[in-house]
Amino acid sequence: MKSIKRIIGNIILLMIASCMIVPFVYMVITSFKITYTAYNFDFSLSDITLQNYITIIRDTNFVHYFLNSLFIAISGVVLNVLFSSLAGFAFAKKEFPGNEKLFFFMIMTLIIPSQVTMIPLYIIMRQLGWINSYFALILPIPTAFGVFLMRQAILNIPNDLIDSARIDGCSDIRIFFQIVVPLIKPAIITLTIFTFIGAWNEFLWPLIVTTNDSVRTLTVGLSSLNAQYTVNYGLVMAGSTLTFLPSFIIYLILQKRFVEGVTLSGIKG
Amino acid sequence: MEDIILKKNEELKKSRVRTFNKRKILKKSTPYTYILPIGILLLSFYVIPIIMSIYFSFTKYNIMTPAKFVGFKNYLNLAQDKMFMASLKNTIIYTVGVVPLQTSIALLMAVWITKREKSRLNELVKGAMFVPVISSMILIGIIWRIFLNGELSPLNMIFTYVGLNTPNWIGDTKLALPTLMGISIWKNVGYFMVIYISALMDIPKSYYESARVDGANKLHEFFYITVPLLKPTTIMVVFLGCIWSLQTFDLVYTLTGGGPGVSTMTMVLHIYNLVFKQFRAGYAMAVANVLFLLIAIISIFQRKLLQRDKSIY
Repeated sequence: MKSIKRIIGNIILLMIASCMIVPFVYMVITSFKITYTAYNFDFSLSDITLQNYITIIRDTNFVHYFLNSLFIAISGVVLNVLFSSLAGFAFAKKEFPGNEKLFFFMIMTLIIPSQVTMIPLYIIMRQLGWINSYFALILPIPTAFGVFLMRQAILNIPNDLIDSARIDGCSDIRIFFQIVVPLIKPAIITLTIFTFIGAWNEFLWPLIVTTNDSVRTLTVGLSSLNAQYTVNYGLVMAGSTLTFLPSFIIYLILQKRFVEGVTLSGIKG
Repeated sequence: MEDIILKKNEELKKSRVRTFNKRKILKKSTPYTYILPIGILLLSFYVIPIIMSIYFSFTKYNIMTPAKFVGFKNYLNLAQDKMFMASLKNTIIYTVGVVPLQTSIALLMAVWITKREKSRLNELVKGAMFVPVISSMILIGIIWRIFLNGELSPLNMIFTYVGLNTPNWIGDTKLALPTLMGISIWKNVGYFMVIYISALMDIPKSYYESARVDGANKLHEFFYITVPLLKPTTIMVVFLGCIWSLQTFDLVYTLTGGGPGVSTMTMVLHIYNLVFKQFRAGYAMAVANVLFLLIAIISIFQRKLLQRDKSIY
């Protein structure tokens, strides 16, 4: 009786898991097929071809978009991790007037949704002449979430450790880089993953501030590919697969940290 | 000779005093210099824009020519704007439909998986449910457009096989919004499940053991131990779900573009169209502020609920 129940449970779980994955499997399979209409697709693995990938790499700006996204995401990560951990260090380990108030004020910015600020932000970027520039794409990436995350991590570092380093004549900035940073590595990795995936997947803002191909990101490129080749599903799916791959690989490698980040992000807002 | 030594001493003292002061000031100001970089970014990309948004919402403004102050006109026009009313309605339906469903599915899945013996299958399910989470909404939109469309698309193939009519998923006014809601639940449910799983791990096993001694069955356990103890997590999951739903854009943009008719028009899509298709930025900011107001109300509500909840622990 119990084993039957267990088998049924297993089957249901497997069905749920496949519901989650099948669309992606479909994406990958389609990307290896020439499907000029919706009507000639099947799940069979015959007529496998790399033609879609060759076309996408050779005939579109896809590689360029890919590199743009990579550059923007990595710069965003560096900026966010560095600035957030510096601010987190100050908030966690320094006493200064307004510490708590400033921190609270910063955290409050988390309830401002980026969709609401996008028009004024667009106006600001226009004034600065930053439309179609990497600045407009990278600088808005950091949020107060990073400061929050870093402050929590740095609070856990014993004060004695920092004090003894100071007595030994360690300068503040050295304490930060040689003691604090190595101790908060897990938090840094978590923030890195989150910032990277966030920047990689962002769509609305890049859509607004990029009007020419040179700075366009992968999501925007994919969306225009989708609009251009409405019937060439194979090609669109090849683009989708290439877009999906980096975040999927990062996920596979750093699964545990991912889950940690999700749990922590619950505190956001 | 002595003179020189005295002078040197004097100089040394002076310099020491000077460096001391310098160091003191430096020490006092360093925290601020650490906070400054991100402070400037947050100020210029969140605080100033939100102030601008409030100001411009009282103007007629198309971004190209200077803004003209019009008072409350934009806000008064909202009620007559059919597109706005439709987008507000759809956004609220979307949120009210998506949040309870995704929250309960995430909770049930989390409880089920943590209750089971550890197995590879559990890990597989957890991993599989997270795959949609890490991919972008735009990608999801594109995959599902192809997955749903056409007589021979996989989903319709199953429908035909079972002997059902194949619905026009995103082309039917009645069906388009529920389809989008379903996709959004499918994408996000893994995220919330993971949050629930980690919260479930924190509940001491002894609670369940003593309940069992008292004769509680599984349903009792669920409703009298699990659900109450997960309340702070649930508040958070509901809150995040609401905010994400209110901000829906990418999925609608790729799948339906707001159509057919206005059946899937959301607030953010309406804002986007107002600014970049109709060049009515001032009015668009009035719409954006309504959205912000909704989100702010929900955040205040969440904070209040969580504060009250702390007394339990």
